[in-house]
Amino acid sequence: MARVQVSEAEKVYILHGIRDDLRVDGRGCEDYRHMEIETDVVSNTDGSAKVTLGHTAVLVGVKAEIGKPRPTVPTEGYLEFFVDCSANATPEFEGRGGEELGTELSNTLYKVFNNKRSIDLKSLCICAGEHCWVLYVDVLLLQCDGNLYDAISVAIKAALFNTKIPKVHISSDDEGGKEIELSDDPYDCMRLNVENVPCIVTLCKVGHRHVVDATLQEKACSVASLIISVTHKGTITCMRKVGGGSLDPESIFEMTEAGKRVGKALHAPLMKLLEQEESLGKKRQKVYTCFPGLPLVSPQPPREESGAK
Amino acid sequence: MTNSPCPHPDNKPFSGQPEKEKTWGGKRFRAGPVAWVIYFNMPTDTKRVRGPEVSQSPSLFSCDPAAVLPSKGPRADGRRRDQVDVRPVFVRCGLVSQAKGSAYLEAGNTKLMCCVYGPRETDRKDETDMKCGRLTTDMRFAPFSCPERGSWIQGSQDKDFSLMLHESLQPAICLHKYPRSQIEVSVMVLENSGSVLAHAVTCASLALADAGIEMYDLVLGCSMRQDGTSYVVDPSYMEENGCSSVSCENQGGLTVAFLPSLNQISGLQSDGDMTEETLTAGVRTCIEGCYKLYPVIQRALTKAVRKAAPSQSES
Amino acid sequence: MAADMRLPTIRKTVSLSASAFDRKDLVVPGDVITSDTGFMRGHGTYVDDDKLTASVAGEVQRVDKLICVRPLKTRFNGEVGDVVVGRITEVQQKRWKVETNSRLDSVLLLSSVNLPGGELRRRSAEDELTMREYLQEGDLISAEVQSVFMDGALSLHTRSLKYGKLGQGVLVQLSPSLIKRQKTHFHNLPCGASIILGNNGFVWLYPTPGQQEEEAGGFYTSLEPVSLSDREVISRLRNCLLALAAHKVLLYDTSVLYCYESSLQHQVKDILKPEVMEEIVMLTHQKLLEQEG
Repeated sequence: MARVQVSEAEKVYILHGIRDDLRVDGRGCEDYRHMEIETDVVSNTDGSAKVTLGHTAVLVGVKAEIGKPRPTVPTEGYLEFFVDCSANATPEFEGRGGEELGTELSNTLYKVFNNKRSIDLKSLCICAGEHCWVLYVDVLLLQCDGNLYDAISVAIKAALFNTKIPKVHISSDDEGGKEIELSDDPYDCMRLNVENVPCIVTLCKVGHRHVVDATLQEKACSVASLIISVTHKGTITCMRKVGGGSLDPESIFEMTEAGKRVGKALHAPLMKLLEQEESLGKKRQKVYTCFPGLPLVSPQPPREESGAK
Repeated sequence: MTNSPCPHPDNKPFSGQPEKEKTWGGKRFRAGPVAWVIYFNMPTDTKRVRGPEVSQSPSLFSCDPAAVLPSKGPRADGRRRDQVDVRPVFVRCGLVSQAKGSAYLEAGNTKLMCCVYGPRETDRKDETDMKCGRLTTDMRFAPFSCPERGSWIQGSQDKDFSLMLHESLQPAICLHKYPRSQIEVSVMVLENSGSVLAHAVTCASLALADAGIEMYDLVLGCSMRQDGTSYVVDPSYMEENGCSSVSCENQGGLTVAFLPSLNQISGLQSDGDMTEETLTAGVRTCIEGCYKLYPVIQRALTKAVRKAAPSQSES
Repeated sequence: MAADMRLPTIRKTVSLSASAFDRKDLVVPGDVITSDTGFMRGHGTYVDDDKLTASVAGEVQRVDKLICVRPLKTRFNGEVGDVVVGRITEVQQKRWKVETNSRLDSVLLLSSVNLPGGELRRRSAEDELTMREYLQEGDLISAEVQSVFMDGALSLHTRSLKYGKLGQGVLVQLSPSLIKRQKTHFHNLPCGASIILGNNGFVWLYPTPGQQEEEAGGFYTSLEPVSLSDREVISRLRNCLLALAAHKVLLYDTSVLYCYESSLQHQVKDILKPEVMEEIVMLTHQKLLEQEG
């Protein structure tokens, strides 16, 4: 991940701030930075979403393809995750630099979705044992400014909400061969139930307290963090310690409790927002390329004497 | 290689009846021609046994894919449910003489070995840290370790295990004592019969201790599996991967790596779908399991130390 | 806990003056600035077919017969006397390498720092060995540009009590073109915090030091906890700086102070929300215009 250097004195300042529940950017320990979510941003996908959290930006595309079900579960489709850490996000990802982080992120996503309730996999089955829908969830990191996990999970939930899988009809001919027929009507499609899709909350242990949505500077001060993926009901589908340090059992219990509380509260506003965007439909103006911080105009007022032109 | 003469130009296998359905274990499966075609057109690699690109174990067809496990009564291997009943473990240090330190661990049918090389100068000069040593971990499954044959190439699951191993071990090692050097830990799973990661952590910390690397504490691993209201500690392969008969509520696995004398958790990983209370209780159970393991590991280590110590002739 | 989720909206930079799109002095690479041969070619231009052409995107500046194009988004091009805030990246023999947002890492020579104690003496071999004790990798310093090397790298010095190692505080990294050149870049703001507006775009916010600390100077850094009220002021200033930078307002003590005053009706953490940012920058603009007019 993009790493930043922090001097000892800065660390002390951040640490004391978190102790007093006032972080460098004025947030409390359990506050998120403001998050912007937009769905249906890439036309070639079946579902897509872009999420910006502070300066972290994540783009997720979902593509549905017809594949063969896994032999152990012939009546279910499945999801494939891939996280690409492009060199756009930070020069450290150049070449194979982002590969390690990418595998780590995608492996965690497999764990997060490794249960029967997040997505109804049975609904992805077309023909038991022969054909099913495979959802390829591709995550692209556009900018890194800390807290990748949370941004990615929100983006995936939004993209899955947005996913439209075309309806198919199976007809069998006289010889027993089967034919899959794709519906012509683009509006005749299947939507996924994303109610149970979990959101990830990353809690960073800094000093004796923990913070959510840590910035890179705060992350540099922390020894270990806990990733917790929480459903809207408050059940936990994945928990994982990351980082080089170890944690006290008591603080793990504390962080689990906080993570559950924070994660549970993420779902309602997210679903509300997604439904609101859906109801706006085509009226909504797309703002896909809204990157912050690009200087478009000169900061200086125009001068009377303007060059030789 | 591609223009090597194909023994059957019409790509028909020589068995004559390619479409014939064969039986295996009472279930029927189709030996389609497609796999055979690939077989003959593949580039010849003399080092490997040539086989079809896609193949599946007959065991998938021989038994019901979703083996339903009972959620009540004693477990298949006679251990008790809802109790911290870990399998008896056999551990021994110093099997591989070439390595700086090594350990072998057996718990039920789970068998794995771990070697530690180093500390030595870092390979990757660009990542040399002047203040801190580097720990690299590598965990691999032997292709024959699981019921289904695996690949020799490290898959993404193995990488995930390696990462978990790395995170679990790192807090215990005094890496600041080894500036500019690297310590390599490699774990080979010979037989997978459940709770591999937990045992790998234990085995690796034992090997590190055997290698004489400075550590704050041993790291012990323990895993458990929740299944509805009941749970099993140190689950076997079947218990880990089988489907339960009861509803899918409150189900999942949990692995904890624990530093017993410092009372710190260095690794934690869970999946499935569990409530917070279950998870908290699960972490406590795993810690208890680690404490049960602690004396066994300590004894094995003392034994290894005693063996290695030169006999003192004077006293 | 609060998670503020929203749909993105198109936002424009707040500006009361004429729109930047009407400006005539902005050029892009390849634009012909003049075909008059009476002008001299400066930075950011080249001559093609007797026509003076821009090679960077930016604003045209003319001094007598010399025409330059100053790029708007650029790394820091230091000049002698500039105040900079930088971070130590490497400790070498007799010198520190400092990241100052310029093309090349700047150099701080051991001979151009005031050694602790303030005495002036020749640097001994012992000083060389203890360099890391004064400044180590990651430490922040404030310094002044002493000279510019041939290759464009800067040589810094901290030979004044106001320069030296920075203690507790917050660093904000902005574009160098947003910092207004002034007589002094060190300000003790009346709102209760101090600010160093480095010419290189690095801005350092810190609690106003007490009398004793100031005298100690140099390499002493206090690790005592900063009071909560100071912290809040610093956080507010930090967010104000980011708001001003997002809307391309020139940064100097007055603009920062006006922005701080305009933001007081909002909570610190809300300042970075786009609509609040627009509102307070608008207010700042108005205040600045009133002051001028």
